[in-house]
Amino acid sequence: MSNKQPLSFTVNGDVAETLISGGETLLTVLRDHLHLTGTKRGCNQGVCGACTVIVDGKPVRSCLSMAALSEGSEVATVEGLSENNVPSNIQQAFADNGAVQCGFCTAGVLVTVTAFLAENADPTTEDVRHALSGNLCRCSGYKKIIDAVMAAVMTQAAEASA
Amino acid sequence: MSVSTKVSQPDNIAAALNTLSTDDEALCLSGGATLVAMLNANLVDPSTLVSLKNIPELSGLKQNSDGSIEIGAMSRHAMSAASELLVGSNRGIRDAASKIANPTVRNMGTMGGSISFSDPGADYPPALVAADAEIEILSASGSRRVAASDFFVDWYETALKPGEIVRAIHLPAADPDAIGFHEKFARVEGDFATVSVNVVLALDELNCRMIRIAIGACGPTPVRDIDVEATLIGNPLDEATLIAAGEQLARACDPMDDMRGSAEYRLNLVPQLVARAALRARDLLKLGVAS
Amino acid sequence: MSNIPGGVGASPPKLEADEKVLGRATYIADMYRSNMLHGAILSSPHAHARILSYDTSAALALTGVKAIVTGDDFDHNYMGPFIKDEAAIAKDKVRYIGEPVAAVAAITEDIAREALRLIEVEYEDLPAILSMDEAVADGAAVIHEDLNSYVKIYDAVCHGNVMSETKLEEGNVDTAWDQCDLIVENIYETQAQSHLPIETCGALAEVDGKGRVELWSANQSVFRVQANVCETLGLPMSKLRCLTPSVGGGFGNKMEAHVQPMVVKLAMITDRPVKLILNREEDLEMIRARHPSRIRCKTGVLNDGTFIAREVEILMDGGAFADDSPGVLGHSLLCSRGPYRIPNIRSQGKVMYTNHLRFAAFRGFGNPQINFATESQIDEIAAKLDIDPIDIRLKNAMDTGDPWFGGQIVESNGLKECIAKAREASDWTNSADNNRSLGIAVCGHISGLLGTGAIVRLLEDGTVALNTGATDIGQGSDTVLSQMCAEVLQVPLDTISLASPDTDGSPYNWGTTASRVTYTTGRAVVGAAKDVETQIKQSASEMFECSADDLELLPGGKVGVIGVPGKELSFFDVSGFTHWRKGGPIVGSHSLVYDTATVDPKRANVTGLPFGQIGVYAFNAMIVETEVDDRTGRIDVIRAWSATDVGKAINPGLVEGQLEGGFAQGLGFALVEEMIWDSGRLANPNLMDYKIPGSLDVPYEINTIIVEHPEPDGPFGAKGVGEIGLVAVPASIANAVYSAAGIRLRKLPMTSERAFNALRERAEDHAA
Repeated sequence: MSNKQPLSFTVNGDVAETLISGGETLLTVLRDHLHLTGTKRGCNQGVCGACTVIVDGKPVRSCLSMAALSEGSEVATVEGLSENNVPSNIQQAFADNGAVQCGFCTAGVLVTVTAFLAENADPTTEDVRHALSGNLCRCSGYKKIIDAVMAAVMTQAAEASA
Repeated sequence: MSVSTKVSQPDNIAAALNTLSTDDEALCLSGGATLVAMLNANLVDPSTLVSLKNIPELSGLKQNSDGSIEIGAMSRHAMSAASELLVGSNRGIRDAASKIANPTVRNMGTMGGSISFSDPGADYPPALVAADAEIEILSASGSRRVAASDFFVDWYETALKPGEIVRAIHLPAADPDAIGFHEKFARVEGDFATVSVNVVLALDELNCRMIRIAIGACGPTPVRDIDVEATLIGNPLDEATLIAAGEQLARACDPMDDMRGSAEYRLNLVPQLVARAALRARDLLKLGVAS
Repeated sequence: MSNIPGGVGASPPKLEADEKVLGRATYIADMYRSNMLHGAILSSPHAHARILSYDTSAALALTGVKAIVTGDDFDHNYMGPFIKDEAAIAKDKVRYIGEPVAAVAAITEDIAREALRLIEVEYEDLPAILSMDEAVADGAAVIHEDLNSYVKIYDAVCHGNVMSETKLEEGNVDTAWDQCDLIVENIYETQAQSHLPIETCGALAEVDGKGRVELWSANQSVFRVQANVCETLGLPMSKLRCLTPSVGGGFGNKMEAHVQPMVVKLAMITDRPVKLILNREEDLEMIRARHPSRIRCKTGVLNDGTFIAREVEILMDGGAFADDSPGVLGHSLLCSRGPYRIPNIRSQGKVMYTNHLRFAAFRGFGNPQINFATESQIDEIAAKLDIDPIDIRLKNAMDTGDPWFGGQIVESNGLKECIAKAREASDWTNSADNNRSLGIAVCGHISGLLGTGAIVRLLEDGTVALNTGATDIGQGSDTVLSQMCAEVLQVPLDTISLASPDTDGSPYNWGTTASRVTYTTGRAVVGAAKDVETQIKQSASEMFECSADDLELLPGGKVGVIGVPGKELSFFDVSGFTHWRKGGPIVGSHSLVYDTATVDPKRANVTGLPFGQIGVYAFNAMIVETEVDDRTGRIDVIRAWSATDVGKAINPGLVEGQLEGGFAQGLGFALVEEMIWDSGRLANPNLMDYKIPGSLDVPYEINTIIVEHPEPDGPFGAKGVGEIGLVAVPASIANAVYSAAGIRLRKLPMTSERAFNALRERAEDHAA
């Protein structure tokens, strides 16, 4: 008898259904079952942040989230930040401001930043440094990531007032 | 982890306790920040994970009519870090919560989960000891309360017996004129503490009216000494006095050498961080930042 | 400034930036194949032991397991860029805890890992060499008994546990000490640092219908992958095709083989695709790291600060296999004089085999270690002579046209301008008055080495295809090389199509290492593009019936007659002509190997140096501002100024990115990161225990200053910048700490604990 159980949840607005074994994490389901490979595995311990996704409105580590507990949840991944491959303001700001080197931390950073700016549309550089503190980047030294976030803030502010 | 691990999601406490008391290979899962990392690393292999996520009795942070505070075991660090109920002499809990790991992990980890694991490097133990907290423990046969200082027993060992879980953390009503402050020293931001000092302080003019000091990450359990605290009452909290008090506390500490620092360094840090924590707490009081 | 959008000197977004932000870039872990098996590796629990036998029967019997390989499945075929001492998997012996001993392919990763538990290996324990000192000791157990019979690609000095011994000498050190007014001698020590790219190592191999292997892997060189796999498996290179997906950083960790040989073998045995991705703990414990070192440095000077003599002795831990160690030692010694004139200098060193994982290429390639020693010592000298640390450096700094240590003439040298700009930007001169603690260190660093080629083609429609074989590991080489091609041909950047590295189709390129791609591959790209330009003009001259000398390329993919506006042809027109009428498809190529000699035997006496032609020099002046917390010893770097002569910034934004990122990695090396062993076992093989700087640990204010002293044969004058931003960080911090707190730290990392102890000692010395 199979020890797999059904899991159904919403990812980036679409219903996702699959069979999981109890011990799987949300990260494994997203990547291996649904082939949403934008979310990365960097440490599987919750430290590096490359696996960060949004579950029911809050950024969490998908590597530390049991898949079974995502039943019925709304999950957003990096793939869901854009529509029809048109980058969001934040994604565009990252691409335009040199905030992407190897790109492996990028998905986790973008998800974290998107959630952060949704709560705080007018942060200081220091606020942004704090918001990023759970995302490790080995390539950039963080400066251009912070600058990209501040650029996105300006773009969003300009759009809001337009 | 084994492919056969099951995840159960009881919606009431009795069902959870039943599973935990009848299946000795079951583990309860709160935030997952520690347990799932251990599962991923194959350090544990439970038959069942009993998720506490949907159990109403474990959730929520509230104030009782007598002013005491009740923090449900499943309260996420982010919630505790933002709670307007944790003020005055209880503010040190909020301060400690805000310094755990990073914002995303704080959305996941819970106070009950964290203290049940009793990692001596964690931030809640000294904060709860300094706040004179009580831990409410539930089992299939009933509930009991244990003072925080009795709850943390040894390295990764608490007063929890098999089949028991933490239901809530209880704090006395806050002294609004006092302040709690959590001083954390770590290798990098977000790391476990090399040494932490949690201070609860109230002043009478320029002198100390009340002080509680608990040292974390310097031994199997938080270190607190009410006699040392007594010597500081009525004292203007000058550097030399604080250092001396810290040195006494250091003598009661029994830290290990580990990646975050040697035992010797930790013992050297204790007096310095006791002084710093007390002085910072005093500065906050003077600024009127009790909440 | 360029005439074309995205040309040289502009900072267009990287070619793959959109793909990466959309989450659509495919890295090795993101690749799947039908019928794919998953691999897992059993690693050695012993630091040094003979392998007596394997019993894989129980593991093979586990449902879902399809193949297991061990050392018995390979002949004694060895790989290694300098000394060929390493098999695909442990053979006959294990030489470090974590060394691969067996590899399993199964239908799921869980089953593969379960199978590992069922494999039984019988070992005979051997005495383990757990430090450099144990390795040099008399009577030490020998780690590579067959060292003498290994193939070496250079005139190696190796014996016992000495992997490589190198010496460089100029002038007459022994008599020069007498001329010196002041002689300072100290020992400096540096630790093992893990590369820790956020992406771990992985590979996916599949045998095609013709019996050829197609191998995808996270790598810094498809050609090194090909050579390493073919050498260890005894495969002709024509039977192996190596390709590169997006790569999540390398810093040296992915330059030589990791899991690829084992994965290819499993794919060949099972005749199914096999994918293996290391987890973080495995990557930390199994692969490679930066060489720990102990350096004795002695410098003699005159009272006015003139450098007269220097003696350097380096001992490096090379780990269980040579990998790039001879090169790292050699480069370290080559940089031991720093960018200064020191007429009398003897630098020698040894890198030792030990029972640790292989220490290998890591951003800086030996320069960070030696720079920490020599640049710290210069400040120690400056303090004793009461000379400003910048002034003493300027006094002795090399000028353009001076020879580097060994004799190679440095033809572009912006060091003094770097120093001047950093000095000004940091307000160094007034720092004491403003109670700010600044420290400076400077360096020169090579970019270059070995061979590379480029092919540029005009497609039928006149658009441009570029193929170089250079792997972009995130630094932006794809973009920079495309910008160079676009600039030569005067076409918009986004009309260039860049082929991904593929041993089937790409010209040989040694690899993405040694800060070489912009300079070395760039030269090939420019050469190939110019070849295309020549051919375009040739055909256009026939189409216009004029001389090719009368033609010029015009922005937008056109060729026109000089001085005759309107008389122009598009590349589309030319391509149509050449494809269908005359001349044939336009294919331009250029190929080179860096060939300027490192050593002038009339100047320098050199033994055991594993390279004869290394590269050109870029320069950096690094100033940092620090605060030291009296209570805890914590060193905080508040801000930094990194002024770098890159010859020409092809893409200034990407240059800044390299300098900022190099700074952060240097900060980790200087203050926090350390691999720690406990009886041969890596005690901190995970991110909880091995910490790298996060956004709150790295200062936001990293001020990068680009200086341009064009390298005469560099593409558009460019030199490399990939590594240099890291090199001078530790010494600049150590020097700033001395300024801040009067303590001299000579051991990395400069943890708060070490600084605290030094502060205590200093206080006690002052009290005494």
